[in-house]
Amino acid sequence: MEGLFFNVNGGYVEGIVRGYRNSLLSGQNYSNLTQCESIDDVKLQLGPSYGDFLASLPPNPSTSALAGKMTDKLVSEFRYLIAQSTGSTAKFLEYLTYGYMIDNIALLITGTLHERDTRELLERCHPLGWFETLPVLCVATNIEELYNSVLIETPLAPYFKGSLSHHDLDELNIEIVRNTLYKNYLEDFFNFVNTHPDFAGSPTQDVMSEILQFEADRRSINITLNSFGTELSKQERRKLYPEFGKLYPEGSLMLSRAEDVEGVALAVSAVADYKLFFDAVGLSQGGSGLGGMGGGPADGKSLEDLFYQKEMEMSKLVFTRQFTPAVVYGWMKLKEQEIRNVTWISECIAQNQKERIGNFISVF
Amino acid sequence: MSGAVGREPVFPTRQSLGLMKAKLKGAEVGHSLLKRKSEALTKRFREITRRIDEAKQKMGRVMQIAAFSLAEVSYAVGGDIGYQIQESAKQARFRVRAKQENVSGVFLPQFESYTEEGVNDFGLTGLGKGGQQIQRCRETYARAVETLVELASLQTAFLILDEVIKVVNRRVNAIEHVIIPRTENTIKYINSELDELDREEFYRLKKVSNKKQRDNAAADAEILAARQKAAEKEAQNGTADTSTVTNNEPEATDVLGEQEDNDVIF
Repeated sequence: MEGLFFNVNGGYVEGIVRGYRNSLLSGQNYSNLTQCESIDDVKLQLGPSYGDFLASLPPNPSTSALAGKMTDKLVSEFRYLIAQSTGSTAKFLEYLTYGYMIDNIALLITGTLHERDTRELLERCHPLGWFETLPVLCVATNIEELYNSVLIETPLAPYFKGSLSHHDLDELNIEIVRNTLYKNYLEDFFNFVNTHPDFAGSPTQDVMSEILQFEADRRSINITLNSFGTELSKQERRKLYPEFGKLYPEGSLMLSRAEDVEGVALAVSAVADYKLFFDAVGLSQGGSGLGGMGGGPADGKSLEDLFYQKEMEMSKLVFTRQFTPAVVYGWMKLKEQEIRNVTWISECIAQNQKERIGNFISVF
Repeated sequence: MSGAVGREPVFPTRQSLGLMKAKLKGAEVGHSLLKRKSEALTKRFREITRRIDEAKQKMGRVMQIAAFSLAEVSYAVGGDIGYQIQESAKQARFRVRAKQENVSGVFLPQFESYTEEGVNDFGLTGLGKGGQQIQRCRETYARAVETLVELASLQTAFLILDEVIKVVNRRVNAIEHVIIPRTENTIKYINSELDELDREEFYRLKKVSNKKQRDNAAADAEILAARQKAAEKEAQNGTADTSTVTNNEPEATDVLGEQEDNDVIF
């Protein structure tokens, strides 16, 4: 029954996304890409998927220019989707952009804190995180003004409310602000897919809950691992963990108490998936393989890689479900990973370091 | 060559001969000292050249690794973190200290790098994802900068040494090919002039003595002639007062004797 009326509003968007999915690079494409000798060859190989977007690039473009053009394509496709969607689907797609908005706002706050001309920063903002009131942020010259008159007008206002005051913006490290916002965002998103009447009990709830739980756990684990050796205290660290996910609450509590990699491994051992990851990179044995593609274990996979791999698998599985806007989420994640992969491959080619060129994640 | 060098504008006197000899000695000592200095510097120079070669190759490798680790970061973070890092860095963690080293009188600046512990401005960057890659990238770049600092200090030493060696070599060559031959030339010239003077003097004395002899001979002849005249007059007068004649005779011989004496003394 749940799919009976989905296509009235969301059918077109879903169909379009499934079409986009077919343009994603396959394993065959990737193996072709790794054979390339120059960036021009890469550009040529990307031709079928990216076509016009790469046409304006000069010969032998830089990898960042290449990645920029690929992102442009993602952005324009996503904008088309969001323009076509209505109702709860539109709301869902908006939620997808909030993550980028957080990054943009963090960027502008950094600029304001250091009294830079924030107008220059607008160009650096991620286009997906663009919202109408974003340029208004540039008007504010100090943090208090920014907080009181501008931030509350943004879509992210609820995430600031209650957890961050304008003093926090001034005093806290921008990374903590960013991660607090992200935590609130994830919780809100999780709440949205579980409680919205259009999604409750639908495939959307199933797949998105799973994906968001994984995302929350991944953030918790990453924050813990990355905070070792920094001035971030355990209490502050705990505040950054999203309050849902497979690790919540026991795992989160243990994570907040962890002091080294073994502690983290112990904390996540209750969840089979993560335990597997940690076993695979050998973190349980010692800290040597700590998340490094460089210093990583023999098969070259780091924890970060394994998380990405898992995320890609989940995003791929989303396409097995029907009548859900979650496919957009899956498609976006796959596309982002694809951009990262191509950037990685072209970096390897540009720097002539072919031995690690296979270190990308391809799921098709 | 030595013909083109010329000599110094001095008067050929014994005093300037002494001066010139002292100068020649000084030049020779200076030459050998400078030669030794130049050799020491050249040795050092070669060593630095070798080390620059090594450092440059090392830099190539290290920079490549560093650039690659940046690629890893952009893969892991999936975005541009450049701005954030620029803004959050407030204090220099990696610093350079300069000191001087003395190599045979040449001051070579040396740069020494050290890390200020406890300065960790962007320790939290990439907290959500990619933090470890960022930290590792930072370490890699710190190593790369270390190599750059080492290379910079070698390069500076290289340039300064190059300059100094050129100057020293120029001096050595100038002493060897200009100053020493010229001083030798001057000494030779003074010697020859002095010899010349000696010979001239000798010749002049001879001339003088010759002239004296000729003058004496002429004077003798005159006296003789005068005496003959007087004798003839006396013979004509017959019995002129003999007393005057007798008086006259010894006087004339006296004068002659005196003149002879003078000559001998002279």
